Amino acid sequence: MNCQQIARMLSASQDGELTPDLELEVRQHLRGCAVCREEGNRLQQVVRRLRLVPPPAIDPFFPARVMAGLGTRPLAARRLAQAVAYALAFFLIFAAGFALQTGSGRRATAVPAAAATYSSVLLEPQDFGLLSVHDDTLGLFAEAGRE
Amino acid sequence: MEEPRLSDDEIVASVLQGNRRDFEVLVRRYSGRIIHFVARMTADNDEARSIAQDVFLKIYENLPYYRSENNFSAFIFRIARNMTLNWLNRQKRTIFISRLLGRDLGRDPFRLDPPRLSPQEQGERETLVTDQLRRLPEEQRLALVLKVYLEFSYLQIRDVTGWSVPKIETLISRAKSRLKKCILLQESGGEDVLPARKK
Repeated sequence: MNCQQIARMLSASQDGELTPDLELEVRQHLRGCAVCREEGNRLQQVVRRLRLVPPPAIDPFFPARVMAGLGTRPLAARRLAQAVAYALAFFLIFAAGFALQTGSGRRATAVPAAAATYSSVLLEPQDFGLLSVHDDTLGLFAEAGRE
Repeated sequence: MEEPRLSDDEIVASVLQGNRRDFEVLVRRYSGRIIHFVARMTADNDEARSIAQDVFLKIYENLPYYRSENNFSAFIFRIARNMTLNWLNRQKRTIFISRLLGRDLGRDPFRLDPPRLSPQEQGERETLVTDQLRRLPEEQRLALVLKVYLEFSYLQIRDVTGWSVPKIETLISRAKSRLKKCILLQESGGEDVLPARKK
């Protein structure tokens, strides 16, 4: 193996991730090659410097804070079940409302409103007060004519 | 408090049966490593604790999806990885938008500013290599942090990231080479950083 091939394997070698055969080859090469040895030393220095950084200080209240944060939080599967239940309830309410509306519509067409007089068909007396007065006046004239 | 000597899978089964207090055992068991992981990825210890708290809430919610034949450690570090990367992406977007709005248009919008550090962390800040670690491309940083700080094997890193072993090997090797160059440049009094890449 040449230096270029060894350079590609140096990192994995230091991480203990090479197969025994490859590891042996790398070691043999390093024994006879000062350049690759120097490269290996520098890579090890990088890892050593990285490891100088200490982990963040332990917060003794962290587990308690997490447990408090859980609160009444449901597990994902239960949350899904809740969502399905809500969706089902909504659908049932919607369907029931739709059925009721359709049913009442059918009843309305089945029993037509009684048309007592000419004015009650054409005009709504309670909405058109003046016209209904006019209509009543006509009624009075009609009665007077009969008399 | 003496932790009961139960395996992760046994504790998960107990939590799923409704003993939610048992989840605290998992939190105690993994909080140090999760916070350390997030802190090295974000270079911000305070933010790391906050993110780690959210990570544990997410882990709790997703416990029903954990399959016991899998490695629980890989399961929780996958969640930690996803949430940390999401946080980093949000940070990038925020900084990018603020610079686009004219606050600092003259600078590279993809380059993160150094985070605010507490006085205790100033010592850490002085370690050049930590600063350079933050500037590594995300994939390289992730692989290196899992290897160096959590001492994961390449196979364990594969379980967390889903990458192939050769890819992990390449990422770690490149990350080390990049940091080595940074250190050499610094020691020779040159430019203190190599340009940060987006990915």
